Amino acid sequence: MSDALIELVDIQKHFGPVIALNGVTVSVKAGECHCLLGDNGAGKSTFIKTMSGVHKPTHGKIRIEGREVNFESPRDAMNAGIATVYQDLAMIPLMSVTRNFWMGREPEKRIGPLKFFDFTRANQVTMSEMAKMGIHLRSPDQAVGTLSGGERQTVAISRAVYFGAKVLILDEPTSALGVRQTSNVLATIDKVRKKGIGVVFITHNVRHAMAVGDRFTVLNRGKTLGTAERGNIQAEELQELMAGGQELAQLEGSLGGTV
Amino acid sequence: MKKTLFALAAAAVAFTGFSAPAVAEGERFVLVSHAPDSDSWWNTIKNGLALAGEQVGVEVEYRNPPTGDIADMARIIEQTAASNPDGIITTLADPDVLSGPIQNAVAKGIPVIIINSGTPEQAAEVGALMYVGQPEYDAGLAAGQRAKRDGVGSFLCVNHVVSNPVVGERCRGFADGLGVDLGDSMIDSGQDPAEIKNKVKAYLSANPDVDAILTLGPTSADPTIGALQDIGKAGEIYFGTFDLGTEIVKGIKDGTIQWGIDQQPFLQAYLPVIVLANYQRFGVLPGNNINSGPGFITKDALAKVEEFAGEYR
Amino acid sequence: MAESQPTAAPQKDERVREMSSLRKALIRPELGAICGTILVFVFFLSIASDSGMFAPEGIFNWGTVSAQFAIIAVGACLLMIAGEFDLSVGSMIGFSGIIIALMSVQWGFPTWFSILVAFALALAIGALNGYLVVKTGLPSFIVTLAFLYILRGLTIFIAIATTRKTIIGGVKDAAEGDPIAWLFGGKVFNWLFVWLADLGVVGKFVAGPKAGQPVVEGIPMLMIWALILIIFGHFLLTRTKFGNWIFASGGDAQAARYVGVPVNRVKISMFMFTAFCATIFATCQVMEFGSAAADRGLLKEFEAIISVVIGGALLTGGYGSVIGAALGALIFGVVQQGLFFAGVESSLFRVFLGVILLLAVILNTYIRRMITGER
Repeated sequence: MSDALIELVDIQKHFGPVIALNGVTVSVKAGECHCLLGDNGAGKSTFIKTMSGVHKPTHGKIRIEGREVNFESPRDAMNAGIATVYQDLAMIPLMSVTRNFWMGREPEKRIGPLKFFDFTRANQVTMSEMAKMGIHLRSPDQAVGTLSGGERQTVAISRAVYFGAKVLILDEPTSALGVRQTSNVLATIDKVRKKGIGVVFITHNVRHAMAVGDRFTVLNRGKTLGTAERGNIQAEELQELMAGGQELAQLEGSLGGTV
Repeated sequence: MKKTLFALAAAAVAFTGFSAPAVAEGERFVLVSHAPDSDSWWNTIKNGLALAGEQVGVEVEYRNPPTGDIADMARIIEQTAASNPDGIITTLADPDVLSGPIQNAVAKGIPVIIINSGTPEQAAEVGALMYVGQPEYDAGLAAGQRAKRDGVGSFLCVNHVVSNPVVGERCRGFADGLGVDLGDSMIDSGQDPAEIKNKVKAYLSANPDVDAILTLGPTSADPTIGALQDIGKAGEIYFGTFDLGTEIVKGIKDGTIQWGIDQQPFLQAYLPVIVLANYQRFGVLPGNNINSGPGFITKDALAKVEEFAGEYR
Repeated sequence: MAESQPTAAPQKDERVREMSSLRKALIRPELGAICGTILVFVFFLSIASDSGMFAPEGIFNWGTVSAQFAIIAVGACLLMIAGEFDLSVGSMIGFSGIIIALMSVQWGFPTWFSILVAFALALAIGALNGYLVVKTGLPSFIVTLAFLYILRGLTIFIAIATTRKTIIGGVKDAAEGDPIAWLFGGKVFNWLFVWLADLGVVGKFVAGPKAGQPVVEGIPMLMIWALILIIFGHFLLTRTKFGNWIFASGGDAQAARYVGVPVNRVKISMFMFTAFCATIFATCQVMEFGSAAADRGLLKEFEAIISVVIGGALLTGGYGSVIGAALGALIFGVVQQGLFFAGVESSLFRVFLGVILLLAVILNTYIRRMITGER
């Protein structure tokens, strides 16, 4: 597994008496989409927060390209090339696309002793990066609030890619979207993967995972139940693993299809 | 958006309706006071102003800074001067701030009369025609001397307008009249009745041997009456107040208050209008300042006062 | 469903109408304030044009009042966009004024030094306000409300304890010949007005020692400060990296933190800037009138916030415009003084103000929804 961009080995995270993660092992390779599946409360959020430097693991190792690292803050993780796109915190709707895109990394130009936000360049780059992802903006100073949910996710993803992310963590990017927007986001994931970026796609929707995933890891009650390659596992099996038992499988039968 | 704009336009039209100045034949005089909107005492001034305007056939306006901020008052005087009235009636609540704008008005050729706050000397300094009011320190001094004769040795001064140093002079005069040091006798009571009441109660329980209370107007007098009734000292403690109001008159009647000093605010608004109107029409002017007060009002001869208290008295 | 068809096809949503360029140019955060300004001027031009309101002297009267509002509105605007309030602005004005007067008149320090100390103290208090808000996570409404009382009380106490008065005069004499006092209380371009008066455009004083001088002496530094602050605030907000951080901090502090915006630093510096603006206000007032009073600046924080809100800023932060706030201040000043010119009963001022505030907020909400797609 030396070709892994990031490896997380036996990660445990305790909040006081609560054990949120109890031995999670996941690795992400360049150019793959690694789907992390799990029901609500399985520990998905805690895990991605650990991966992106928000939480420090109680136990376990994080290795980036083989070197062991300790993230003190989200900034450290970002500097190491790990970018996270949160479900609802991806964008600030009141601000323009350009302002959002460059937030925290504004380009500047010097006029005399003063430094100004270089809007000409920022707008240009934003428009072209958006076009690459298939989003045609009316104008770069359009507010993010006027974009659809799928478009917002795409802006956030292209921002992360533009700023050199090696590993991109997507926190339930499709959970609040309609069918068409979901397919757009999945297409974006595919584009990102082809650039050689490792994508961690967190979802509880097996069908979305099966559509783009190369490998699948199921989280249940804070533990990994193993990782499977694409083609070696069926949607029904994943569904069962997520539910962690038979009850759902029976229910599923009576519903006549996947949930 | 059209709807909103329409609403805006409608509001504008509505306001035009009652903001058109009342058409009057005569001159236009403006009274600028220093009192915040909440000060009810100035109602008498407003009424006196309106009555005089009616009687001599001039247009009168009353203006004041909503929060009582003297710096805002300075702007109002500047504005009044810019609107070229035939005369300005105003106070010198803070000569430092107000003398500039008043002097500019005078320099524009607008006759100015100073009323209420200030001294005759300060009025002359800014170039005003005359001063109509009650010299505050002297009024306080007279009250202090009267209280001393009545056997008072210590007092509490309830000041609801600490920001106005001229009004504070009343306390200083009272202390000097008694022959005691002002010291901690003056409290900053604020304007809120409940607050004033409780501050007075607290002071009296901390200093139970205080002989007398001096309040500086209805704003502080009314809650003080309540405080004394609450702690059962009404009628027991020597209580004098500046200015009159419905509650004060009642207090004088039932013996809670020994006397009220009336500076007769009615005259402070009424007389300047008469003086200015005749000055503009015939060029006549009384030869001196006019003292509208002080007059001590005691239990005797309350009938007229009672009848018009809060309106013209 | 391996749906990896190349989605290069632009995702045009047929439900979103393309905007015409005129409409696009019109729909901006300041639109409400621009409409309001036009409306207010039309209104007063029609009912008060013969009252001297639009003579040079009248213009300077409401212009100065508007400039006063603008100075504190710029600070309040940037702070509000950064997602916080400062209710201690009015108390800060009283406090700074008393500090300057006390040091220069009572204790005999040079005026320039007193002004510097007042600014230093104000910045420190602003920083403390900000630090408390950021560290405790309490709403700034509560923290600065506490400072509203603390500062006002301290101001009255200091004034009474040292001088036994709440008004300290004589600052003008103390500031005589001071190197920086004129920066706040002075007037500039006086020659221009002498010239205009000779041309008959501006009236002249007819009596007293000032006879023959123009009724408008010059442009007060207060107005110059207002302009400087508006331009500075506007550029800072719209043209710099820091401006982007201000928007981000107020729009969504957590999202901003995730991408590395130093939200705490931004908020604290905006609290300091607000205090700075309040002290500019106080210094100009003290230098112009020559005295400081402990009750100066009462309720000014609300006047600042009202100007900002009329100007189109969102109370919850993340959205707004300095130009809008400046126009809000202009509307406020023109209405306040204009009602006097129009001879409206002065107690109706608040009614009028409330109506304008309400209409502005309704209009602004509508415009903002168009811009941000917020529902």
